[in-house]
Amino acid sequence: MNLVVNGDAESGPGGTAEPVGTVTGWRVVQGAPALVAYTLGGGYPTAADPGPARRGSRFFSGGTSPRTALLQDVALPAAGTTGHAAVDAGRVRYAVSAWLGGYASQEDGARLSVEFRDGRGTPVALSVLGPVTAAERQGRTGLLERAAGSLVPPGARTARVLLVLTRTGGGTSNDGYADGIALTLTAATGVRT
Amino acid sequence: MTLDRRNLLKAAGAAGALNLVWPLSAGLSPAQAREAAEALGADYDPAPFTLGVASGDPQPTGVVLWTRLAPEPLAAEQRLPEVVEVGWVVAEDQALSRVVARGTAPASATLGHSVHVPVGGLAAGRHYWYAFTALGRTSRVGRTRTAPAGAVSRVRFAAANCQAFHDGYYAAHRGIAREDVDFVVHLGDYIYEHGPAGGDHVRDHEGPAVLTLADYRRRHALYKGDASLREAHAAHPWFLTWDDHEVANDYSGTGGGAPFLQRRAAAYQAWYENMPHRDASATSALPDPEIHRVRRWGDLLELTVLDLRSHRSAQNLPNGTILGAGQKDWLKGTIDRAPDSWHVWANSIMLSQLRSRPGGPYMFTDQWDGFLAERKEVLNHVHTSGLEDLVVITGDWHSAFVDDIRTDFDDTSSPLVGTEFTAHSVTSGAYSADWNAANGPLMGKANPHLKYFEGNRYGYDVYEVTPERFSAHMRVIADRRDPVSPVTTLTTFHVDRGRPGSYEDPATRNSPAQWRRD
Repeated sequence: MNLVVNGDAESGPGGTAEPVGTVTGWRVVQGAPALVAYTLGGGYPTAADPGPARRGSRFFSGGTSPRTALLQDVALPAAGTTGHAAVDAGRVRYAVSAWLGGYASQEDGARLSVEFRDGRGTPVALSVLGPVTAAERQGRTGLLERAAGSLVPPGARTARVLLVLTRTGGGTSNDGYADGIALTLTAATGVRT
Repeated sequence: MTLDRRNLLKAAGAAGALNLVWPLSAGLSPAQAREAAEALGADYDPAPFTLGVASGDPQPTGVVLWTRLAPEPLAAEQRLPEVVEVGWVVAEDQALSRVVARGTAPASATLGHSVHVPVGGLAAGRHYWYAFTALGRTSRVGRTRTAPAGAVSRVRFAAANCQAFHDGYYAAHRGIAREDVDFVVHLGDYIYEHGPAGGDHVRDHEGPAVLTLADYRRRHALYKGDASLREAHAAHPWFLTWDDHEVANDYSGTGGGAPFLQRRAAAYQAWYENMPHRDASATSALPDPEIHRVRRWGDLLELTVLDLRSHRSAQNLPNGTILGAGQKDWLKGTIDRAPDSWHVWANSIMLSQLRSRPGGPYMFTDQWDGFLAERKEVLNHVHTSGLEDLVVITGDWHSAFVDDIRTDFDDTSSPLVGTEFTAHSVTSGAYSADWNAANGPLMGKANPHLKYFEGNRYGYDVYEVTPERFSAHMRVIADRRDPVSPVTTLTTFHVDRGRPGSYEDPATRNSPAQWRRD
């Protein structure tokens, strides 16, 4: 189960290149994102550009701010095969993935990070995805998948997901793009050392 | 394999560049690389606690404890499980017999097997000792100190900055470790990002310019390979800010495209992994640590730690910012809410105006001189809010300066709102003695607020604060090529409470300097 709410940008206001004030499931901590439709055109990614196979109707972009940041605090499940007891026994793995990209040869970008925290808020694990460079996109507008994962450290209780979309150089449009953000837990047979 | 330091350096000289003989570019194993690094002037604590122990961000009820497991400190990846359980203990005595807190923390490979343990429930204003255990081994014992609460009659603290590994040994940190101080402030340029310096250096960087997370981890490990740095960390709690070289020279945190932001994220993460930093932002998360914070040392001192890199714009813009909008608002609010105490700003890069010659240009607009409107706004806010007893402590310049802080540096009749002490560097190279002799007087004439300049020495500052007086002791080492170089006090400046402006101690007014306003 994907623990990230609205990681696919499909819920809530949006659909155009206009920045929105609120985003379902996310806290906008800097700037203002746009949730752009793949059908919008005008140079934005379309269904024909590199991106998730099942990409839905919209993706995140940075709007018109030089730096737009969205944050989501995820409570790890208390019970079950990936619950607190399993985490504390070193038997839960996490996988984080996201489709990240930008526009043509520009270096606007999107970075997705997940920081696991213990019950007192101390960071205990970190994975950082992106930003994807223009060279990695081979100068083409679109989004590429990035993924990471590891053992969830014993004591972890929350995961802070942070999406940062950045503009570089002049212009107005922040063309850092993101879609398909997912964080999943799986029961593992890892041994606590 | 055995490597001889002298022969290595001779070979380096013959090759024309140290990186040609540095083992990390020669495809050696991590163990061989470590042996070679040790031959070239690095050494380490016993594994897995090779990088030592540290504490930071002291508050009245607790501190953060740090260590990082790195059995092979220069390896790109450690041969360790994904998560290793690390035990920690805090005691009232050095023998760790009177234990007051203990626990475990997970060291994850995703954070370089570092742990940052916020220990609470401690008593205010006293020393504690601590150690870690992991993989059947125990670390060295570190000492820390909580902040006091209530009425405080004295605080002493040290400030260090700019410690280029290749420019010398850390005799200054050896001195800091032996100082009777309550805490240490590091003002940045803890590491340098470039490749080997080559030439006539006592030691050098281990490889080319650092770009990736593995690179920055290795560079931090190299720097921790100076025993005096580990000793200073283990002796006192530290507050930390950073300057540019933790990432790249003169960078702007908000500039650059995706390739640079990949690099910056790697540098920031490695910095966090290697520092006793408490990260607890409400609005951000790693890999972007939140540096700025305000802390109090009882009723005597309020310490404001600034981050002048993460949020800055480009230089020399009409609406440019060195603080970023959020931090600027926070700083102004901190000024508005300031208690009646000494106010110290930990400020990585020079606040005061610095022209190169009378009527000449600003020397460096990477410092606050490149952000004129924001400097004026902040200093006017200091004045209009009635903030008194402001002392700004600064690094970056590799030389010592003492400045009067005025709301308008070009108007000698404008309000005098504080004093800035810019400290000598730990090792990073200063200008030549000839340059200093020629330019000290020129800078003095060009900057009527500049009271003192000395650029021929290396060291650190110790600040001694009482309710009546703030004293800055400039500690200097004799020779940065000597790891145990003795420390002496070059001179001392004082600021009296309630009276803006500084004055030099009469006992050291005849000490060497390249500019002194009489």
